[in-house]
Amino acid sequence: MTPLHRFGQFLRESLQIIPLSMVRLLFVGTLVVLLVWVLRLPKSATMPPDGAKRWDENLKLGATIALLIQIIVYLCL
Amino acid sequence: MLLAATTPLTLPDYIVIGLYLVGTIAMGFVIGMKMKTGSDYFLGGRQLPWWAIGMSLVATDIGGTDIIGVGGAAFSHGLAVANFEWIGCVPAMIVGAFIFIPFFYRAGVYTVPEFLERRYNAGVRSVVAVCWLLFMACNLGIMLLASAKMMSAVFGWDESACIVLTAVLVGSYTLVGGLTAVVYTDMIQCVVMIVGCLLILVLGLVEVGGIRELRSRLAAADARTQAQALQVEPDASSTDAAVVATKAATRDAERTSLILPVDTQTPFPWPGIYFGLALILSPAYWIGNQAIVQRSLGARNEFEAKASYIWGALLKNVIPLIVAVPGLIALALLPDLKDGDAAIPNLVGVLLPAGMRGLFVAAFLAALMSSIDSYLNSAATIVANDFYKRFVNRSVSDQSLLKVGRLTTIGLILWALAFAFLLTVTNEKSGIYAIFQTLMAFFQGPCFAILLIGILWRRATGNAALIALLSGIGTSMSLYALNQPTIYEALDWQPLFQIQEPFLYFSIWAFVVTSLVLVIASLLSGPVPTDKLQYVFGGYAVPKRATPTALEKPAPDEAAGESP
Repeated sequence: MTPLHRFGQFLRESLQIIPLSMVRLLFVGTLVVLLVWVLRLPKSATMPPDGAKRWDENLKLGATIALLIQIIVYLCL
Repeated sequence: MLLAATTPLTLPDYIVIGLYLVGTIAMGFVIGMKMKTGSDYFLGGRQLPWWAIGMSLVATDIGGTDIIGVGGAAFSHGLAVANFEWIGCVPAMIVGAFIFIPFFYRAGVYTVPEFLERRYNAGVRSVVAVCWLLFMACNLGIMLLASAKMMSAVFGWDESACIVLTAVLVGSYTLVGGLTAVVYTDMIQCVVMIVGCLLILVLGLVEVGGIRELRSRLAAADARTQAQALQVEPDASSTDAAVVATKAATRDAERTSLILPVDTQTPFPWPGIYFGLALILSPAYWIGNQAIVQRSLGARNEFEAKASYIWGALLKNVIPLIVAVPGLIALALLPDLKDGDAAIPNLVGVLLPAGMRGLFVAAFLAALMSSIDSYLNSAATIVANDFYKRFVNRSVSDQSLLKVGRLTTIGLILWALAFAFLLTVTNEKSGIYAIFQTLMAFFQGPCFAILLIGILWRRATGNAALIALLSGIGTSMSLYALNQPTIYEALDWQPLFQIQEPFLYFSIWAFVVTSLVLVIASLLSGPVPTDKLQYVFGGYAVPKRATPTALEKPAPDEAAGESP
């Protein structure tokens, strides 16, 4: 056993202690944080320079739908 | 595995395949008539619409071998392989859309290595360009061979003929039409791919009897496998039986779960998926891969470049359903298959009637061609812009660069053909196959680390980035070497990693080492030149590229960078 192996073993054992329910929380939490960030983006980052002429020209909508699908997927599977 | 042996393709199948091929090639050639400059060829004249780019992004990401390989992995390991299309794509695409793609677009660059020179120096640009070029050029040969092997095994076609035919077909329209042809043909290929795979999914679910029935059949298949394992050990004690029963229950739970424990027998433990895939490899791929980023740089404006990524992210949500779930359906319907890669071809044979199988073959060809054409065009872009224009002829005209791009494309097609045949001669058992599949994990983590830190931290210097990049690549290659049986056995060591194919872990450690070296070496070196700071967040804004004529001119700092 080299120091690298001992370090790897320590990491493996430490990560094994974490219950999968907490891991799921980590996955979903990351997606939720990303969703909140998207929702808080300024209009200048999500719309054309001359403003949205149609409802689907706001990129927040598409990004939010994509992330909501992800959140549901990682909550259920 | 031979689909043709049990369910041969019929005339209607060949008509569907023929229509698809003729339509794709014709479109590529029609587009090619309009090519006049290097900007047209490499960036579609910056006139590409967001919806076409978004579909092209998805089509490029799914290769021909993925259609069968992902379904096969789902058959063998379960649904966790879908992580590569879900958390391994969607979040990075959204972050890329709102942060990185606008940054690259405003810089007006042709390639990611070009951006890295503006932020750091020519050394960093060259190392990154060489890494990507080597990877793309070799991968072109590998994709040709892997797809030909698949076509030979599945459809009974001659392997050498498949290699040549694919190279000629894809090479011809990419050569003539450049990025525009690639993006528009990818768009058709994306539709054909989704429709073909969706057909398998729907007919498969109908055949199984719905999702609930699918789950119960999967549980039954796992229980049967474990029972068979018990039977081959007749002297198994009651304790062994209890262990096997526990394993069966665990296997069943893992089969339809995305989040797998650290000690899973599959290559997809959650730390690898979260830290290696979601946080490093995925952003590195969607933000730093030239073949991916290049098409968004060809968008009509910055907003459409962002929109293409968001549209791609929405489409990406559907992909695992149509490429991974059929693998689970195959397990429910054909549980006795031994080889995962045989799952989808056999499922096609069971589910699709004559005439419809042609649609699946077209979907397979679409996935294959959409990846090869993209890598071909991007490799040519790197050669023309990062090597020829940068080091050979800085004052080359845009028209001459078009010729260089086309000549490079021809050279790459010939190289890919030669490399594919070389692999055939040396036999894939030589290990070169696996080495190049792991190659991307070698340098993607380090490249992403210097890109990310360079954009976020003003203090990162060019020389430090070069040292860090080389250190990171050295780290991942060392980890790979130390995990090879011949090496760790010679050293009388145990393998460093306990899972199969630990490429996700290589990328984590390579990223960590690169980041640490970059930070330490930057703090030890002098200040960053002021002109570099316009490519840092919170520094100076990168000048917006507003008009089409401005797009053709080199950015002011590029001109400055070219002077001695």
